[in-house]
Amino acid sequence: MTRFAPVYRALGLIIMLFGLTMLAPLILSYAVNDGAQTAYDETFALTLLSGAFLWYRYRNCKRELNTRDGFLMVVLVWSVLPVFAALPFMIHLGMSHTDAYFEAVSGLTATGATVMSGLADLPMSINLWRHLMMWFGGMGLIVLAVAILPMLGIGGRQMLKAEIPGPMKDAKMTPRIAETAKGLWLVYIGITAACILAYRWAGMSWFDAVCHTFSTVSLGGFSTHDESFGYFNSQLIEGICIAFMLFSGINYATHFLAFSGRSLRAYVRDSEAVWFVGVLLLSVVVLANYIWKDGVYDDMDLAFRHALFNVISVATTTGYSTTDYGQWPLFAALWMLFLCSFVTSAGSTGGGIKMMRALLLYKQVYRELVRAMHPSAVYHVRLGGQPAPQTVLFAVLAFGFVYMVSIVSLTLILSFTGLDIVTAFSAVVASVNNTGPGLGLVGPASTFAALEDFQTWICIFAMLLGRLEIFTLLVVLTPAFWRK
Amino acid sequence: MSRFSPVYRALGMIIMLFGLTMLAPLIFSFAVADGAATAFDEAFALTMLSGAFLWFRYRRCTRELSIRDGFLMVVLVWTVLPAFAAVPLMLQLGLSHTDAYFETVSGLTTTGATVIEHLDTLPMSINLWRHELVWVGGMGLIVLAIAILPLLGIGGRQMFKAETPGPMKDAKMTPRIAQTAKGLWLVYLGVTVACIVSYHWAGMSWFDALCHGFSTMGLGGFSTHDASFGYFDSPAIELVAIVFMLIAGMNFGTLFLAVTGRSLRPYLSDPEAGWFIAVCLASILAIAIYIWKDGVYADLDVALRQAAFNVVSIATTTGYASVDYAQWPMFAPLWMLFLSSFATSAGSTGGGIKMMRALLLYRQVYREIVHAVHPSAVYNIRIGGHVAPQPILFAVLAFAFMYMVSIVSLTLILSFTGLDIVSAFTAIVASVNNTGPGLGVVGPSTTFAVLEDFQTWVCIFAMLLGRLEIFTLLVVLTPAFWRK
Repeated sequence: MTRFAPVYRALGLIIMLFGLTMLAPLILSYAVNDGAQTAYDETFALTLLSGAFLWYRYRNCKRELNTRDGFLMVVLVWSVLPVFAALPFMIHLGMSHTDAYFEAVSGLTATGATVMSGLADLPMSINLWRHLMMWFGGMGLIVLAVAILPMLGIGGRQMLKAEIPGPMKDAKMTPRIAETAKGLWLVYIGITAACILAYRWAGMSWFDAVCHTFSTVSLGGFSTHDESFGYFNSQLIEGICIAFMLFSGINYATHFLAFSGRSLRAYVRDSEAVWFVGVLLLSVVVLANYIWKDGVYDDMDLAFRHALFNVISVATTTGYSTTDYGQWPLFAALWMLFLCSFVTSAGSTGGGIKMMRALLLYKQVYRELVRAMHPSAVYHVRLGGQPAPQTVLFAVLAFGFVYMVSIVSLTLILSFTGLDIVTAFSAVVASVNNTGPGLGLVGPASTFAALEDFQTWICIFAMLLGRLEIFTLLVVLTPAFWRK
Repeated sequence: MSRFSPVYRALGMIIMLFGLTMLAPLIFSFAVADGAATAFDEAFALTMLSGAFLWFRYRRCTRELSIRDGFLMVVLVWTVLPAFAAVPLMLQLGLSHTDAYFETVSGLTTTGATVIEHLDTLPMSINLWRHELVWVGGMGLIVLAIAILPLLGIGGRQMFKAETPGPMKDAKMTPRIAQTAKGLWLVYLGVTVACIVSYHWAGMSWFDALCHGFSTMGLGGFSTHDASFGYFDSPAIELVAIVFMLIAGMNFGTLFLAVTGRSLRPYLSDPEAGWFIAVCLASILAIAIYIWKDGVYADLDVALRQAAFNVVSIATTTGYASVDYAQWPMFAPLWMLFLSSFATSAGSTGGGIKMMRALLLYRQVYREIVHAVHPSAVYNIRIGGHVAPQPILFAVLAFAFMYMVSIVSLTLILSFTGLDIVSAFTAIVASVNNTGPGLGVVGPSTTFAVLEDFQTWVCIFAMLLGRLEIFTLLVVLTPAFWRK
């Protein structure tokens, strides 16, 4: 029996579960007869069989998972599931394995970058599958962010332990995750249903409503149309989208508290949520003015409408667009990418370093300034009333540092392969933050298909790095992890 | 009597001392009759009178300087002296006060970015003054880096307290600084003389040798020719420059120990020096091969020669160019700018975050990874055999974070003013690291004169921010500093 046998056993189970989700596009494919039936048949069989084999092989290893298992588990789930998810794209659309894996990773990490064009002409079941992946990715993400990463102590996530709803502190790993997941998934599913109805009511077809809801609540950003939300050109639809993107950018644990307590007080007390909304509103007003003054739009109303939708879409790491904001003066697009690196909440489906860490980093820099003036002063960094322990502060600072180093080094690698700087930098930022579209060659009006295979793999790595909060992936890649 | 009177008194004395350094170009101007004598007359008189007035006004305040005084002192010296230094440039060349101040800040912070074109036809005394500024700036810098910043505890600089040569631990501020300064300045002076003689021996005129000796030792990068080192086109001169840039990029404290002990052993036990040389050598080889393969130079020898000179020049934050390396494929200059942000040693005249901090940061990230796998493991970070205390690690992490935040936010500001992203980003990186030339409109073949006034001021701020290691400047800009 190998050392990580319980991990492989659990992975087998998860692969089988994941295989079951393929039934949805499979059935749709048969129902509308869009020609992709065979692809799903084969994928479904292969996924279930692989999962069953893995599970059967390690079925006797039932010991409780420990922290080290947890790291490997998370990394394997996020890197192996996309392999199976990519099969329909390869079989039916004849995509290369690089592109298909990119699309699947982009879906499951809720990034929303795509290598496909002509989206409206794709078989419906393929489009459903793309969006469904995102929805499941979001589901996995909530559990990852609220239950698993805090336990692994990634980048100061321990801080959040106390804030998880329910009586589950210091519980064992598996029951604790199950407990947390149940409550939060209920909220997630409820919100999804509400979003579908709202989109439908605002004028989308049922199919579009379902697909876009999946990619809205997960803050992913896939669309069934090449023009993204520009296709609908409806203020009502944009308004609904904005509301649900904002909702999903806030901690799901806060939503859970608000729902179970039937009160909005939970939001007011959530400092992340307050800053999130504050920063976004300010940015929308400033950018609307900026692009209007610059003469991009003659009409202030139009500038405001486009700024509102696109700023919130990119800042929440969703990545829809109503217009090619790559054509706006560069500052606007840069500012939007800057926002997406920190505004969303720690327990949301968004990417980046999260508002919680941004606030801690700010407080810490302030503490250093105070310390420079008064070397002997005692100054505690507080969060939610409690002083943050040293280890958490170290973890947050190190996380902030490695996050930036990752962006710099991956940008250098892309530039080494010959990409221009705007494309290289924005592709990496958009991938690490799980936002989706970058600028330049990979801007909102084009796709990641323009990249060469090696460049695509760098972006895949960046998406996984960002989604797994860097250290989870780095830990598994260190030799020390594999030593006895 | 105002609260900071002793600071003003000391500043008055420093201004007078600085005024005396104007005697060199003044006398030179009379000697060669280049027409700039009046400008230097007036600037000299103005500087001496202002200094004398300030000193006289506060002559009775002789109390010992406190830590808080130290912050203000450092900031005032680096902002006020350039104002006086700019006077001859305004009077003789008719530069605007923005441009003249930029040029002198660039000199005194040993940045080497210039707004002046047609350097070859400037009055000789003006060129001497520009280069002397760099040299004097380097002198101030050594004391700042080795004696003052450690005392103020900026960004983990306390670390170096123990490493300062001479018996001066826990001494009072003024005698300690004086003691350190004496030894290091002697070494600095000696190496400068050696550099000037070598340049002349390699073929420069005495005047060029003097000027370039000044800007080499300060790791500044001013030149008396628009073409910089491309003007000489001599491998011997380039080799001399490389050697002295490398010496100036290493700790002057180590050089002091090596000279007094007549042995190279201090360099072997200096962890910074080893990494500095290794990183520079590896980068030279990699970039030479990269540009050769890319077809910039048909000949590997030429590629190696150009890579060696320009990589060392940028990595050491000097900023000479022997060729317009902005024409190389983008990755090469980006990598060079990347190097300039960390390669030089903490006690050198270079800029950036310094190799010492880079090493500490690397170890800290590694510690976080170990912590993730073994949460209860005790892992001490050592530097030079000593365990680094927690406050220093915090300070280093916070410093690195603020360094990156400064670059991001100043780049956003420049891009807000309409500058393209390559120029905005590289102008900021080159200014914060005190390197000099960036890319795009501020590349090695152009000057900073193309910037608008506001953009120039942003770059001035960036140069001061980088030179004063960010926190020194930020502390003085906080309201808490001025509260009683």
